[in-house]
Amino acid sequence: MSERREVAVVGGATVKFGVRATTWPELAQEAGLGLFRAVPALAAEDVDSLFVGAAEPERFAFQSHVAPLAAEQMGLTPHRILQRTELACASGQSAIRSAYAAIASGLSDVAVAVGVEKMNLPSMAEANTAMACVMDRPWDGVHGATAPPFFAMVAQRHMLEYGTTEEQLAAVSEKNHRFANANPSAQFHEKTFPRDKLLRLPLVAPPLRLGDCSSMTDGAAAVVLTHSGLVRRFTDSPAWIRGTGQYSDFHNLANAGSLTDWVGLRRASAEAFRSARITAADLDLAELHDCFTISEIVEYEALGLCPSGEGGRFVADGRSDRGGDLVVNPRGGLLGCGHPLGATGIAQAVEVFEQFAQKVDPRRQVPDPHWALVHNLSGSANVHSLMVYERGG
Amino acid sequence: MAEATVVPVKKKRPAEAEPAGPGAPTVPFLLDFYPLEREDQTRLAAFYAALREGRLTTTRCRRDGALHWPPRTVCPKCHEDAVDWVDLPTQGRIYAFSAVLAGAPLGMEAEVPFVVGLVDLDGAPLRLFGRIEGSAWAEVRIGQTVRVETYTIADGRVFYRFRTVRAEGPAAAVRPSEGYL
Repeated sequence: MSERREVAVVGGATVKFGVRATTWPELAQEAGLGLFRAVPALAAEDVDSLFVGAAEPERFAFQSHVAPLAAEQMGLTPHRILQRTELACASGQSAIRSAYAAIASGLSDVAVAVGVEKMNLPSMAEANTAMACVMDRPWDGVHGATAPPFFAMVAQRHMLEYGTTEEQLAAVSEKNHRFANANPSAQFHEKTFPRDKLLRLPLVAPPLRLGDCSSMTDGAAAVVLTHSGLVRRFTDSPAWIRGTGQYSDFHNLANAGSLTDWVGLRRASAEAFRSARITAADLDLAELHDCFTISEIVEYEALGLCPSGEGGRFVADGRSDRGGDLVVNPRGGLLGCGHPLGATGIAQAVEVFEQFAQKVDPRRQVPDPHWALVHNLSGSANVHSLMVYERGG
Repeated sequence: MAEATVVPVKKKRPAEAEPAGPGAPTVPFLLDFYPLEREDQTRLAAFYAALREGRLTTTRCRRDGALHWPPRTVCPKCHEDAVDWVDLPTQGRIYAFSAVLAGAPLGMEAEVPFVVGLVDLDGAPLRLFGRIEGSAWAEVRIGQTVRVETYTIADGRVFYRFRTVRAEGPAAAVRPSEGYL
């Protein structure tokens, strides 16, 4: 293999997530505004490539060909690589992975990865229809399969096989909502969710309650990446990409195998840790894909942070909280921030960059972090995508 | 002032009013979940023809014997296209399930609450996902027996779903507070 260039995230910004009185193109403009404000040394003409993470603009915004649309909204004229990346809930991280590959290979020098999703529609039944076609639509979606009933089955099996409790699920939600309280861009900023309140919220797909599920969210986020020769032009605190991993082994739910042991995540994370030359024990913080509370619990186990079946106890004992083994989802997670599909993976990378620069709210700042993991699952946890970041300085 | 001339516009008939016949979904087609099933629409038409006769079928590779789900035209193991249609068991047991109590897709809102689940077919190495009719969600149990049934939608197309046979299951796992484990 030819020599790869070293690549870092050198800045980024997240717009306010939530039920926003704004359109898809306006969200892209806001992401550009935030990015150029956050990275004063960045000029539009520096950006040779643009990767646009967008899961379902055809469904949510009746708009295809969104890569040039986003470029125009952000005032960019890409001349090396311009493309949209779609991987459902991991579309944002796919944009970053593609930008990383382009820069590492020498095809691009400075690339922007932007993620945009507008999910709140006048008809939420149409929005739910969009979510159902993330699944194998004519075989699984047709029965009414959206994410909540699938992850509810994961929770049901985890409860049956390991004795995981609703209280342990609520511990994930309470932790991530507490961090979101210290994140002004979070959908649920300044809203408190104590555990007893979470356990009284209505069931969405039993055993999952409203507080166990991430939201339909409008949002956008952008990061800029470059290679080691240009990093210092933009920042003194780069977040170096040291490892990546990805794995997919099924799509139709019939081919899922174990619901409670996510083999694809074990494989993807083994590759991510191997390429970064670290182990899970080296991590100071992890942005994990908590689309549902049960997801974060199963992820602890598949990442090797705790043995199989002990994920519920891991969170209930505070081991994924401040003062624990590592801090999971200090941004507030998908549960607290909301989950605009294309923007989530990029907002997670912005959090890692800002955590490394030690400029987030002290209530969610991880003390002196060095290694960070970003994980996104997509669909029915049938794809796992990971990136390992190391703090530079 | 001259009176405006009003030209009568010949109205085009809406697509819904045209003779539909089986397999012609009403517009908008891109909000239609059901697969197209006629021979001029899919190479899996035999699946739907068998369903009309009450048989759930799938493909098996003639070369390596792999049983597929969903049915396929090319075997994913050997990448050959010699596949045979085989009948699947008509009964199975619930491996996992949940219920949609909110957030249903368009066209399914009136069916809320409804039960979905993964079913291990008796005597076949397949675990199929599907709608489970016949019991309220709080009465359904892991391990409960269900049978496969065919149902017909308004435009004449057919699909499969499961129906609970009788309440049973691992009593020790039942949680009195919720009753779904």
